[in-house]
Amino acid sequence: MKNNLNLYLIEFAINALLRAKSKNIFILVVFTLLTALLTAVFLITGSIKHELQSTVDALPQITVQKIKAGRHYDIDTSVADEILTIAGVSEAVPRVWGYYYFENAGVNFSVVGIEQYEAQYKDSFAKLVEKFDFEELSSQSSMVVGRGVKEVMSSSYYKEYFNFIKPDGSLKKVTVAGVFDGDTELESNDMILMSKEDVREIFDMQEGKATDIVVKVPNPEEVTTVASKIKLMYPDTRVISSTDLKISYQNIFDYKSGVFLALFVVALFTFFMIIYDKASGLSSEEKREIGILKAIGWRVDDILKEKFYESFILSFLAYLFGILSAFGFVYLLQAPLLREIFVGYSQLKTSFELPFVFEIQTLFLVFFLSVPIYIAATIIPSWRAATLEVDEVIR
Amino acid sequence: MITLKNTTKTYEINKNNSVTALDNITINIKEGELVVLKGVSGSGKSTILSLIAALTKPTIGEVIVNEKRVSKLPDNFASDYRQQDIGFIFQKYNLIPTLSVQDNILLPLVPTNPDEVEAKAKLDRVMEQFNIAHKKDTMVRSLSGGEQQRVAIARAHINDPKIIIADEPTANLDEKLSLDFIEILRGLKDSGKTIVVATHDPLFFNLDIVDRVIEVQGGKIL
Repeated sequence: MKNNLNLYLIEFAINALLRAKSKNIFILVVFTLLTALLTAVFLITGSIKHELQSTVDALPQITVQKIKAGRHYDIDTSVADEILTIAGVSEAVPRVWGYYYFENAGVNFSVVGIEQYEAQYKDSFAKLVEKFDFEELSSQSSMVVGRGVKEVMSSSYYKEYFNFIKPDGSLKKVTVAGVFDGDTELESNDMILMSKEDVREIFDMQEGKATDIVVKVPNPEEVTTVASKIKLMYPDTRVISSTDLKISYQNIFDYKSGVFLALFVVALFTFFMIIYDKASGLSSEEKREIGILKAIGWRVDDILKEKFYESFILSFLAYLFGILSAFGFVYLLQAPLLREIFVGYSQLKTSFELPFVFEIQTLFLVFFLSVPIYIAATIIPSWRAATLEVDEVIR
Repeated sequence: MITLKNTTKTYEINKNNSVTALDNITINIKEGELVVLKGVSGSGKSTILSLIAALTKPTIGEVIVNEKRVSKLPDNFASDYRQQDIGFIFQKYNLIPTLSVQDNILLPLVPTNPDEVEAKAKLDRVMEQFNIAHKKDTMVRSLSGGEQQRVAIARAHINDPKIIIADEPTANLDEKLSLDFIEILRGLKDSGKTIVVATHDPLFFNLDIVDRVIEVQGGKIL
């Protein structure tokens, strides 16, 4: 039975690509790089968006901070009991935490105090107290650290313990009891968990004081009302709702997205320059070849089919290579250079891995931005040449 | 079989200038005839061949081949006509230099998506017939002029067309190769093909296989 797919035409198209090897390899490389850049931009944006969304979702609904002379001070833990009397509030937890600057690596760690038998304001902490006994850790002066912290400390030879320098200059030795993985990379990587008592000692915080208070309101509609009630009760506090935090996170993200958008535009611009160059005309040799094929009996549609195969093979290969390179670049190599644009704002952060986020729409979007446009840019000038009078072309 | 009726062909050079390549000519060529169009360069011989092969359309008049008005054929039908009925041997051969001998010869068959066995049989037949089989894998750019011409003839012949057209076939050949070509023509005529050759080579004018010599001058038939 005769094959409906004209393999002779496909073979001719492959031969045509190989005949102009150098030119087509150049196009393939440039096309692959552009596709890879476009895809990498989409993948990094998707990953970070996902990461930020998870972080934002994990934020407390209301955070109450004591403000004095425009600066943040420790707050009385008794305020939490007062807040609990407000209708609609289910939990008010005083948090004891702070940043500890790790000079050897030039990064800040978040040191968070955990009370074993207290309501935990994060699900991830609730899981941790099941795994580690923070009362026992307190008696041994031990801590549980995030993966990033462990790596940074190990690289400075603090594999089993670390000496925290207290505000009065004395040292507090705390041993590493375990490593945890948080729900999100951004959140957990730079975190150190220990008993509240130890955190107070490291930061020289008085008993009965907390860094801030987080408030849980089961009905999200009531968050704004509860926040304004707290503000009325304690005018010397700053009451931050999760909505405010979401906006500030989103602002950072939007700014970074702008940088990526610029990269994206540059990639697209370069791609369209190539397309424009291709669409603006064929070389006299290419025109002559089309004329010869018509003179020996090829129809216009045979020529267009052949050109379609040629451009499809080239652009689809570039698309595949570009996609694979982008996945390797982003998820295996962790997007060197590009990634810094996004996570680089946080010199304070420890290492951060881009989470794998696969969206089929991204693949379709990159496909439609590249392959059909390249095919059209090849076919249109070929169609123009193929519809000229043969005699005019080959003479 | 081939009729050019009151045909004029004018080429537009630009908005204000045009050149009349053929001026109201009429030619009739019978089936199986070998006709030589004689004339100097620019006399209009090649234009007559292009009109017969439907590579161009007349400005006035019509071209009829096998009762088909080829001058009125839409583009795709003209391609089909060339594919089935015409074998054109161009002056500069018009081969694709970066393809091998066999790939060049197979080109007219490619759009028809032929059966592999059938295509190979046709290919072997013409390569043997025109003595080019030993070079089948060679790139045509590395062939001599005579070999390139044999490839062009084999390509023109692969579909076994009824009409063979040759434009200045011996212009780039030495005398020995020109005589070889004439022998090939003899074979084609013996097999019943209608042949039209445009040339100013005197070798053709007194050949026993030539049925008629038509002299073209300044776009007119003398």
